[in-house]
Amino acid sequence: MLHRPRGDRVQCLLCPLRCTLSDGESGPCGVRRRNGAELETATFATTVRHLDAVERKPLFHYRPGSHCLTLAAPGCTFRCDYCINHRVSQYGRDPGVRWTGAPVDAAAVVADAAAERAAVALSYTEPSLALELTLALAESGRPLGVPVLWKSNGFLTPEAVELAAGAVAAVNVDLKTVDEARHLELTGARVGPVLETLRGLYERGVWLEVSTPLIPGISAAPEELRPIAEAVAALGPGVPWHLGRVSPAYRRTGHAPTPPADLAAGVRVGREAGLHHVYVERALGADGRATRCPHCRAVLVERGIWSLERNRIESGACPSCGTAVDGRW
Amino acid sequence: MTGEPEGGQEGPAYRMVEHLPDLIQPEEYDRHPEGRLVRIRIEAGPDGVRVTGDAFRPEVIDALFQGLGPDEIQQMLCG
Repeated sequence: MLHRPRGDRVQCLLCPLRCTLSDGESGPCGVRRRNGAELETATFATTVRHLDAVERKPLFHYRPGSHCLTLAAPGCTFRCDYCINHRVSQYGRDPGVRWTGAPVDAAAVVADAAAERAAVALSYTEPSLALELTLALAESGRPLGVPVLWKSNGFLTPEAVELAAGAVAAVNVDLKTVDEARHLELTGARVGPVLETLRGLYERGVWLEVSTPLIPGISAAPEELRPIAEAVAALGPGVPWHLGRVSPAYRRTGHAPTPPADLAAGVRVGREAGLHHVYVERALGADGRATRCPHCRAVLVERGIWSLERNRIESGACPSCGTAVDGRW
Repeated sequence: MTGEPEGGQEGPAYRMVEHLPDLIQPEEYDRHPEGRLVRIRIEAGPDGVRVTGDAFRPEVIDALFQGLGPDEIQQMLCG
């Protein structure tokens, strides 16, 4: 899937690196390899099988209170030096990471999810590298009403976005910074394609939420967050924006955790940019997780940490003033 | 491409689990701006000793647990 011949090489069209591979060679992702005229993948597999809350992805405006059966195929297109999931995400990149995957029977996974009235989510690692698995899960899930969800870094080609948009119902995309140099330093990849993916998914009607980790020195200060907030708001003011607290981890340990005051300032930055829904999972308490009406500011959805407490939204709108609230309720 | 074991990671195996208890609460974040707080819970039962840890700096917990020499360390993932 998503490859073409280029002279005596085969070009992978899945991620914007568009690697041209000689026979037997893998790209930097380490999980897609040329075999003759074809590409083969290690990602029809999962390292975990977790039943958890959709709020954990985080997806706050997609079926609040529902569950998802989460899988994670090893590997990532990024090499983020702060990645808390590095023991699975950096398979193929970090030689110290063991293979812990097991093959996936897509129909069986979907049947199990259906029995739990759950979606199937691909998370923890980069799901776009598991596009074949995603399409198989979507095909099995469609007749049973089991949607497929992604937590992604958004580093996809437009061709991959086109395929993914027909298969996934909702995606949370990490937008770490819009500064090319800093993004390259942090992830090993450019941010331009991530912004194109955000637009591509949004325009195709995939439910979209965006997360930004507030990394001290990279993306935690208001002047660093403002252009990110503006990029999210340019998609639409109803796109939820999640601000994440970052602990020093993996290869980036020389900073303190994100101060709660920076997260509070980030919420203000998001609102000033015109965003209706800016969320902080833990550091600002229940108010940081609550959905408010964009018009009358009434509290519409109250959440615990990874749980739904109360949902007052009626027919997709505020019951107090009737204003529509973007989401898949 | 098959999923054959690769790499030479030393030490105990990590198992990624759905849930582990929080030992540090969000209300404590402001009291530890440098992220030096580590909290440990030790439980002894008929099947052995279970040690649970929480810290702002995961490498502190990693080093502590690896030093205990367990067969397995459980960890939660992000996302």
